[in-house]
Amino acid sequence: MWQKTKPYLLLLPAVGTIVLLFFGGLFDGLLKSLGYFPAIGETRFELTAYTDLLRSSEFWESLFLTLRVAALSSVIAGVLGAAVAISLYLLNESAKSGTTQVWHRLFQLPLTIPHLVGGYIIVLLFMQSGFLSKILATIGFIDEIPDFPVLVNDPFGWGIILTYAWKEAPFVSLMIYPVLSRIHRSWRDVSRVFGAGNWSFIREIVLPVMLPAWTIATFIVFVFTFSAFEVPFLLGVTYPSMLPVYSYQLYTSGTLADRPEALAVNILLAILTILLGLVVYYFSKRWNVLKGWD
Amino acid sequence: MSSLRIINIEKQYQQTQRKSDPAFSLQPVGLTINEGEFFSLLGPSGCGKTTLLKLVAGLLQADNGEIWVGDANITAVPPEDRRFAMVFQQSLLFPHMTVEDNVAFGLKMQKVGKKQRLADAREMLEHVGLKGFGLRFPDELSGGQQQRVALARALVANPQVLLMDEPFSALDPSLREEMRELLSRIQKQFRVTVLFVTHDREEAFQLSDRIGVMSEGTLLQVGKARDLYERPESRKVASFLGLKNSVEGIVAAGRFISADRSFDFPVEETIERGPCHLILRPEVVQLKILKEDPLEDSIQLSGVIQQLRFNYGFYTGTIQVGIYLLDCSFTSQQAEGLVVGQEIDVLVNKKDLWFVA
Repeated sequence: MWQKTKPYLLLLPAVGTIVLLFFGGLFDGLLKSLGYFPAIGETRFELTAYTDLLRSSEFWESLFLTLRVAALSSVIAGVLGAAVAISLYLLNESAKSGTTQVWHRLFQLPLTIPHLVGGYIIVLLFMQSGFLSKILATIGFIDEIPDFPVLVNDPFGWGIILTYAWKEAPFVSLMIYPVLSRIHRSWRDVSRVFGAGNWSFIREIVLPVMLPAWTIATFIVFVFTFSAFEVPFLLGVTYPSMLPVYSYQLYTSGTLADRPEALAVNILLAILTILLGLVVYYFSKRWNVLKGWD
Repeated sequence: MSSLRIINIEKQYQQTQRKSDPAFSLQPVGLTINEGEFFSLLGPSGCGKTTLLKLVAGLLQADNGEIWVGDANITAVPPEDRRFAMVFQQSLLFPHMTVEDNVAFGLKMQKVGKKQRLADAREMLEHVGLKGFGLRFPDELSGGQQQRVALARALVANPQVLLMDEPFSALDPSLREEMRELLSRIQKQFRVTVLFVTHDREEAFQLSDRIGVMSEGTLLQVGKARDLYERPESRKVASFLGLKNSVEGIVAAGRFISADRSFDFPVEETIERGPCHLILRPEVVQLKILKEDPLEDSIQLSGVIQQLRFNYGFYTGTIQVGIYLLDCSFTSQQAEGLVVGQEIDVLVNKKDLWFVA
């Protein structure tokens, strides 16, 4: 009996902490978003924060910006990540030397850099007085520094998109690569004998095989970008801001009475993420593209 | 379709990191496979037969030599443009495609319209006995069915040459037999030129018009199954074809004398003098019936039965003659009166004696 329960008891402190901080925080946020806020004397449950939020144009603008930035970031990261993974796969197939390992490590490098540092690198590189604009001005590609397009702290969110595309592409390739490495080495021979060149092999075999993993990886990037805070805070504009930043602004700049609205933003973010997850799960099941493996 | 000519093709692999393992090299091979012929490369694992097959397919680059199909030199043509087809040891079907999409893959690469290629794929599936299986996925088929699909995929594109790399070796014996019959029937029906690689003598003998025996990167002998079996050109060929009865000796002064002198009999003048090996096929060693006088054209040997094994309707006996152990075949009737340890006399017709250097 003791032997059986021992592992669970040993795990209890870690599990307890996670449950308390994560689910506790989420539950506390849910209660406060519903107006239950004893600190300011509110003990009733009501949907005022949600209705106010859904009526405000700021929320909708923020939501659309968040969706746009998250969608573009994840698609660009997905495409880049897929290209990197396929290149590494083909490189590995053709070259047996240690060169592949060097490229592997090089492409994985962005994974080791924290998001905040990644965001700061984008600032230094892409702001109008940044490294890139100075180089372009020096070589005469642009007349002067202000001619460089506004890519950082811009209303469209290009700075945020660039950061996530750069930062998450290796993550996508890392998720796809093990799937690609399961592609039977002889399949390349089979396809060649039957008339498939490199591009046909990628289109007919590699892409369909990696699609499920790619979808999941891209969705993870989407969800992460959708609810991330630090990069939009650093590289975004004050208005419209992305939802996590909007929530932070409501939480810190307003009064205690604004906090239910700030927390309602977070709850809506969580609900939207869950709904999107269900949609992706539904499609990945329906495509059934993993059919036949193993 | 045209004949396939392999002209002095050779391949040297790079030295492995372990210096003790010598790098494998395929010695220059010259071979012509006629249109519609079923040709097998037979040899033990690692003898270079798959290397030769891959060189023909274009999956490996040859160091020297040429490959011709009819009047076209295809040595530098990439595999995707050779219009060959290949069946591998494993079926290697694409798991994300249905059976009919797998079969139609080659046609798709040849830009054949969807309707046409699927119709062709279904027709070919019918030929291999898989009518109605088109919409299944490969994991819903048995190993034998998967290999049938691989065969259909190879045949549907009407290849100039069909290459087969031990395609039935992963199947169980009864299924293997069934697949051989299917392949034999289909090959005759479609008149496709086949280059088949196997280490299974029985398989090669059953299917092939001609066989090339390979060993250690060298093509030792090419011929029809019976010629190879009855007239092997070397001990290696004889040994690989299961002819274990090899007696070392010398031909001198019109006689063959074994090293231990237990074999000593006159031979024809045409037999080359000098050291040689006598090869005796098991079925030519006949039990001498008591009081029967040996015929003039036979030699008589005396030995002791060391072993007697029942083997599919007949008996295989091992007889010790001098220092040599000879395998021979007895009918059940002959074997009835025999016991291990018994001294017996056997006869071999002189025309069945075969000497190799």
